Amino acid sequence: MSSPLLTIEHLRVDFPEVVAVNDLSLTVGAGDVCGLIGPNGAGKTTTMRAISGLQECTRGSVKLDGHELAREPDELKKRLGFMPDFCPVYEQLTASEFLDHFARAYDVPHRAQRIGQCLELTWLTEKRDALCEELSRGMKQRLVLAKTLLPDPQVLLLDEPASGLDPLGRIELRKILLQLRDAGKAVLISSHILTELSGFCNTAAIMERGKLVMFGTIADLGQKMARRRMSVKWRADGDKALEILKAANVKSLEADGPGATFDFEGSADALDGLLKTLVMQGVRVCEWRGSGDDLEQIFLQSGAKELM
Amino acid sequence: MNLNDNPIFLTQKRLVHRAGVLAAVLIAALIGASLLSGLIAYLADPINFDFRSPQDAGKMFYGWVIGVEILVLVIGGFSRISNVLANERKAGLWDSNRLTPLQPWQLVTGYWFGAPLREFYMAVVLAGTGLIIVLLGRLSPALWFGTQLLIFNTALFFGLLAVLASLVAQRPQGAFVFLLLFFFLQFPSFTMPKFLLTNFLLPVYGIISLFRDAGGSGNDYSMRGWDGLPEIFGLPIYPLLLSLVLQFVIGIFLWRAARRKIANPFQPPLFRWEAVALFAILIATQHGLMWGLWRGQFPTPSSSGDGFYERDSLLSIVQCGTMLLGLVVLAFNSPQPEHVRVEALRLGFKDLGAIFPRSAVSLALALTAVAAAALFTQCAFSFADSWETYAVAVGNLLDFLLIFVFLLEYCRLRFKRRALGFVALWLFVLCILPFILAGVFTTTALGRLSLLSPGVLALTKPDGDELNYLLGMVAAHFGIVIICFLAWQREWKCLLAKTTSATSVQ
Repeated sequence: MSSPLLTIEHLRVDFPEVVAVNDLSLTVGAGDVCGLIGPNGAGKTTTMRAISGLQECTRGSVKLDGHELAREPDELKKRLGFMPDFCPVYEQLTASEFLDHFARAYDVPHRAQRIGQCLELTWLTEKRDALCEELSRGMKQRLVLAKTLLPDPQVLLLDEPASGLDPLGRIELRKILLQLRDAGKAVLISSHILTELSGFCNTAAIMERGKLVMFGTIADLGQKMARRRMSVKWRADGDKALEILKAANVKSLEADGPGATFDFEGSADALDGLLKTLVMQGVRVCEWRGSGDDLEQIFLQSGAKELM
Repeated sequence: MNLNDNPIFLTQKRLVHRAGVLAAVLIAALIGASLLSGLIAYLADPINFDFRSPQDAGKMFYGWVIGVEILVLVIGGFSRISNVLANERKAGLWDSNRLTPLQPWQLVTGYWFGAPLREFYMAVVLAGTGLIIVLLGRLSPALWFGTQLLIFNTALFFGLLAVLASLVAQRPQGAFVFLLLFFFLQFPSFTMPKFLLTNFLLPVYGIISLFRDAGGSGNDYSMRGWDGLPEIFGLPIYPLLLSLVLQFVIGIFLWRAARRKIANPFQPPLFRWEAVALFAILIATQHGLMWGLWRGQFPTPSSSGDGFYERDSLLSIVQCGTMLLGLVVLAFNSPQPEHVRVEALRLGFKDLGAIFPRSAVSLALALTAVAAAALFTQCAFSFADSWETYAVAVGNLLDFLLIFVFLLEYCRLRFKRRALGFVALWLFVLCILPFILAGVFTTTALGRLSLLSPGVLALTKPDGDELNYLLGMVAAHFGIVIICFLAWQREWKCLLAKTTSATSVQ
């Protein structure tokens, strides 16, 4: 991970009957896209609201590029863009008027030009003069994303940004997020569609009941998994391959045409050793894929019980 | 400060214009034109009308104009601001705006001036028509200028109140409670206009005195109680000036409270000292207004005072008003238990001693002290004779405010979101039910059990034997204070115990 732009230390948020976020610490560096994952009620939205200052924290600190939220809220507002999981828009304003409102509020230089850029980035240029009430949910979602990007914030908090988007919109969102990542922004994003996050998240934070269960780069998390689901395909000598796998004491072995899937419990070195054995024994391996670096697998094995 | 540089104002302006203002302006113009045509018809053919002079006709038609103007600008503007803020909070736009670098004062002014723009346009049209009516009716332009100044100032005052009420109230209709409270309090004040504060907060006395001074003879504005200048501790003051100053001073508190609430929504709107100062200003002004009736020698009427026929009940009404005002101030500044719990977790305090500075109990004591000082001005020179009356009134106020605070905080701790219903129930049982039972069983003795009775009765008919009985009632009510205190203490201890266990789990 690069130098942290967003640092959360020991964050705790209390609700009357429950600790919504409990001792959460994580960092998101410049150029990092961190997926915040967890079942319903895990505390993802509360965490985002607490970071943005909309939710009172019991204790802990939130720092943006070294500026502490509690001490310098105004500094934080300039550097942070928060996109909530619903679409707060002025229904009776046009898309460009809506962006103009926030461009003025953030005192964005070259307002008209920047509004045009953001509309183009979110494929809403054609809708710039349409009233917000005439936009579909997905378009409103993109408009709110455009509003979030307007002041060019260093840190972006995106709460379920893809929830109202159609498949094409999701692909385009992924492109935007990759652009933001390349531009050196720190992005904390929550989504219930884990396969989507897999495409562009380089770090992940898994929450359950307000607690951080796992946090790290996708690769590190994959390595930490005690059990990895593996998939292997071969061109010939399938029987020999199955014998080798059985001998290696893999779990849940399932032959699948010219290949097999199995669970492997052991270190990364041991897994490399297994592949080496297969090749040395003459099995013509044409595909060797571990699902440990897949967010869905990481999430399922993290101990979080309920998928969203 | 250019309002058009304020994005909130600009957006509200766009929204108002997009929704259409022409129809509203035309309606206002039609109302104004029909009233103006009424005056023109009178001037053209005076014999067919029951007016003694053009001035009387002008006053009548102008009275209607400002009536509609108040309805549109004050009540309509208040409703508009409350609705806009409630809707934007619900839609999440309020949070979006709060996360921008806009300063709290920019948010306040944006909604304050931007949301009721349509009502403002209507009022300007009506005011213009009113000016023509005043000129045609040969009335003094001072009438137009004074009434417009009061109406627009009142609209600004209520607009600011709407902003604050919408920030504090959990539900959209919560803000309207404040508006209803103001107009409800106006009713009793019509019987003793010069001596009750509500006639100056809502500038009824000021407007009527302007009409009275504008010439003509038709309407009897010189009826008893509506003539002459009000006095503050014996010093005469122009009613227009008193209304403007009162609205301005209270407006400063509202402004500070709204800004504070926006900057940090998790804290009470007023600092403790601000709550005490606001209460003190209102109560001192109220006692100042009626000081001339007794001039510190209560219950002996001042020889220089006028023959005011409702004098007997005035202090009792003020006592009830003081209780109501204290109740509102305490409700605003009483801590939310959840906030205290979070603070306890953050700071790690575990004993009840740390609760007292956060609870509104100390504020109740401070408000009682302020009210006691203000009441003392009425009997300062006759204290040797009236100390029992004074003791009953102050003791009763102390009982009431303490019971309210203990009940409010107990119910918030115990019943959480249903707390207000339970507080209302208990206040009904303690204050109103005895009067109902007294009516049902036709015995006044039951009515005297009410928490409101001792102070009201003592200040209405200060009588030796009765006062001893009332002192006993105050002492008995103090027993209820102790019971409430024990329940209050128990609930806070439970909350602190839960907090301690939550910390130890960590």
